[in-house]
Amino acid sequence: MDTSCTRSEASLLRVNNIQKIFESSRGRYIALDGVSLTINDGEFLCLLGPSGCGKSTLLNILAGFEPVTKGSVLSDNTPVRGAGRDRVMFFQDAGSALFPWLSVEENVRFGLRVRKVPKVEWPSIIDKYLKMVGLDAHRTKFPAELSGGMRQRLQIARALAVEPDVLLMDEPFASLDALTRRRMHSVLLEIWQRTDKTIVFVTHDIAEAILLADRIGIMSVGPGSVITEFLKVDRPRPRDLTDPTVAQLFNRIESLLAPELARSEQLLESP
Amino acid sequence: MTNLRESGTTIPGTRSWTGDLFAAIHARIGDGYRRTLLLTAASLLIAFSVWQFLSTFVFNPFLIPPPLEVFRTAIPMIMSGEILADVSISMSRVLVGFIVGSFVGVVAGVLLGRIRLLHDLLDPIIELLRFLSPTAMIPIAVIWFGIGELSKYFLIFWGTLFIVLISTIAGVWRAPIARQRAAECLGANRLQIFVLIVIPSSVPYIVTGMRVAMASSFMSIIPAEILAADSGIGYLLEKSSMLLQTNRIFVALLTICILGFVVDRIFRFFVDRILSRYMSFVSLT
Repeated sequence: MDTSCTRSEASLLRVNNIQKIFESSRGRYIALDGVSLTINDGEFLCLLGPSGCGKSTLLNILAGFEPVTKGSVLSDNTPVRGAGRDRVMFFQDAGSALFPWLSVEENVRFGLRVRKVPKVEWPSIIDKYLKMVGLDAHRTKFPAELSGGMRQRLQIARALAVEPDVLLMDEPFASLDALTRRRMHSVLLEIWQRTDKTIVFVTHDIAEAILLADRIGIMSVGPGSVITEFLKVDRPRPRDLTDPTVAQLFNRIESLLAPELARSEQLLESP
Repeated sequence: MTNLRESGTTIPGTRSWTGDLFAAIHARIGDGYRRTLLLTAASLLIAFSVWQFLSTFVFNPFLIPPPLEVFRTAIPMIMSGEILADVSISMSRVLVGFIVGSFVGVVAGVLLGRIRLLHDLLDPIIELLRFLSPTAMIPIAVIWFGIGELSKYFLIFWGTLFIVLISTIAGVWRAPIARQRAAECLGANRLQIFVLIVIPSSVPYIVTGMRVAMASSFMSIIPAEILAADSGIGYLLEKSSMLLQTNRIFVALLTICILGFVVDRIFRFFVDRILSRYMSFVSLT
């Protein structure tokens, strides 16, 4: 496995040979079986795969929302048990994830309040991150009054304000229109470069993965999903999909995913 | 930024949330509001005219008194304070039962919604008891509490409790899991997630339950007063029926209509004023 990274060699999150089994009244389902993964400090890692490959499950395990059945998850060499202050999850459905009864500013303040950050620091922290995501002028608005892209930027600001090391992003821009999504990509990359965060980004969009990631982990369709391959994307950003190297990588990933896609359709046909 | 709502208002809650049973007339502005007002007036005017015509020329005016006759009967009843006395006694019964029932329903609802064991233990009992309507409970309430105020408070309380309880449990269950997890990531502990996230998320369900319960209270107070009271609108109905005073019956019926409407409007006004930020939506998608 390639563990080198553009900025640092330190590993931040380590997943060792984990298995995840869901038990329900309808039987047991082996979601993940034998997944190992090392995430380096400051890295931008994309987990890419068709739906049903367990990428969201893996992310929930990294966040500490779901326990593993077997294996271990280490964050800074300590086992992950429950949500940790160093990792913040970012959800696709901002409508569910934001606190709709709180204004933009109050949404950001929430994390500072529950983490008992000294009150005197609140205004400067809120200012800093609202400015960073360009919501400074909308601080008294409520989430319902924001556009889809603005809501996602608010989620970013709210997450960054508690200064986590890792941002875990679960198909964050999948429900945005194409233009807004492109804009969000550059916003996210700029913030990532400015803040040295580590990002684990789940997506089923090959182009999105290539435009953003340092490294892409390709996942197979379940049951018993694994990460079949890691691919480094060694091109300067902003990347262009028509760049021959990038296009080549795109085709390679597409051919890697094609059999998985066929399998996921087969699984749907014969349950 | 073009997709921002440009209504010029910053009050959240002007957009009615999905599933609102009463996705009715929210703060409308300008022509739309005037149009609604005009149509409402027209609707009432036409209804009264048709009623006046039918009961004058088609039906027996003793059985269905025409509206003008009803108003003529109503005026002295209003002037003498008779109606007001009946309205205030019925209203106080509804309010006491409703407030106590809502309070117990909300408190029990959030606990049962959150504590699985408690819910599983009590749910079978609730699922049986909730089919006992307040009307079904009148005979036993009279034996337990007599025909004084207490039996009426109890009956309204009984009707309110189950409606508010069940909708509160539903609201707690539907607090989005992503929202709770987001709060958890930001550093909230279990109690903070419950108090600061789950309860506010369930407010729309609680308020809907309370509005349904309010309407049901208005429906249950009448039979309760007909069968077991010597005051109130229900008693007025019963007394007028005994004396075959159809005019007075119609005055009482109209009073119930107007009262229910006004109280619901007042309830919504307070919800809009105090809880609007919690009412804006369940999910944005």
